[in-house]
Amino acid sequence: MKPDARSDIRHVSDAELVGQALRGSDRAFGEIVRRYQDLLYRHAERMTGRRDDAEDVVQSAFIKAHRNLRKCRDPERVGAWLFRIGANACKDFLKSQRTTVPVEKMPGLVATDGDPEREAELGSVRNEIEQALRSLPVEQREAFLMKHVEGWSYTEMSETLDVSVPALKMRVHRAREELQVLLQSYGS
Amino acid sequence: MRMDSRLQAYLDGDLPLEGLPAELRARAEEWDGLLEEIRVTAPAGAPLGLDTRVLAALEADRASAHSGWLAWLLRPRMVPVPPAAVLAAAAAIILVLGLVGLPGGGAIAESRIYVQFVVDAPAAETVHLVGDFTEWQPTVELEDADGDGVWSGRVPLLPGVHEYMFVIDGADWITDPNAAGYQDDGFGQQNAIVAVSTLNGT
Repeated sequence: MKPDARSDIRHVSDAELVGQALRGSDRAFGEIVRRYQDLLYRHAERMTGRRDDAEDVVQSAFIKAHRNLRKCRDPERVGAWLFRIGANACKDFLKSQRTTVPVEKMPGLVATDGDPEREAELGSVRNEIEQALRSLPVEQREAFLMKHVEGWSYTEMSETLDVSVPALKMRVHRAREELQVLLQSYGS
Repeated sequence: MRMDSRLQAYLDGDLPLEGLPAELRARAEEWDGLLEEIRVTAPAGAPLGLDTRVLAALEADRASAHSGWLAWLLRPRMVPVPPAAVLAAAAAIILVLGLVGLPGGGAIAESRIYVQFVVDAPAAETVHLVGDFTEWQPTVELEDADGDGVWSGRVPLLPGVHEYMFVIDGADWITDPNAAGYQDDGFGQQNAIVAVSTLNGT
């Protein structure tokens, strides 16, 4: 690809990229992926707690999005639409895991999954925080991360997740209360 | 452990720090520190090459979908012909009525096959067929000429696998319960699938 061609596509609007992708352009869809992969991946890694799982979840979310791109009613907000697909993919993944391994009841096991590289990377305090976050119920964790880590407003969260603002506030409030307890016990 | 509602309001951004009583301000600052710690430990971003792997997976997905519908088409099967009463309950049936060239076309790649869709919706005032072939816009309105609640319409489709749904009264999107297959739409629902082939297998 010529450098100027790559540069050109970086200035194309989301809506135009969606239009081009719908007309069969993988280059346009690739640019959509590049624009939003960080957003989806950060959320997925926090939700799943594992890099390889997060990558699988994000990959499957983009494939699902490509299959259903015509259903993106507001191409200018394709990022929010993709995030919703990614967030749902995370929840589906965690639900499927829960049927086999009750990870949320095993904080000692979910911290690093025995990955020495991961253990070395995380300090003890951060490790405790990660354990506590992963011990939260999935929907509380999702709302808490969106609000406090990813910086969404409640209104944006409501529009993206299709959940009312009061319900989202309740999830975040409960998450804080849970964290308050969990971090006290880990720190003791 | 219940958290003070004023502290929650502060953390929600609904109350300034100065709005908290002195005994809660220290707690609020502790929370600010904790949240900052959580933010700085957030992953930096997607691993290198994820976009390339997504596009490669997309290509594999296409190949898989193609072989999947081809296998579906070629698989020997019994084709039941439902009686009229059952037909009324069926959401959609496919009748290959013939090959029709596109205006100005004529090449096989541009040939379309008329597919008849039928849905039983006695309470509906309007029924539209939407799918990838309409770019999910309600441009195809089904008809119920005799008022028996069974709506139908014929649509020319290109060979291949198509996803579709019905829209009742412009609002309720329903999935064909008797479709040949289904595809998760990513929003908790499923699209129905129809596979269309020309007589020469293209």
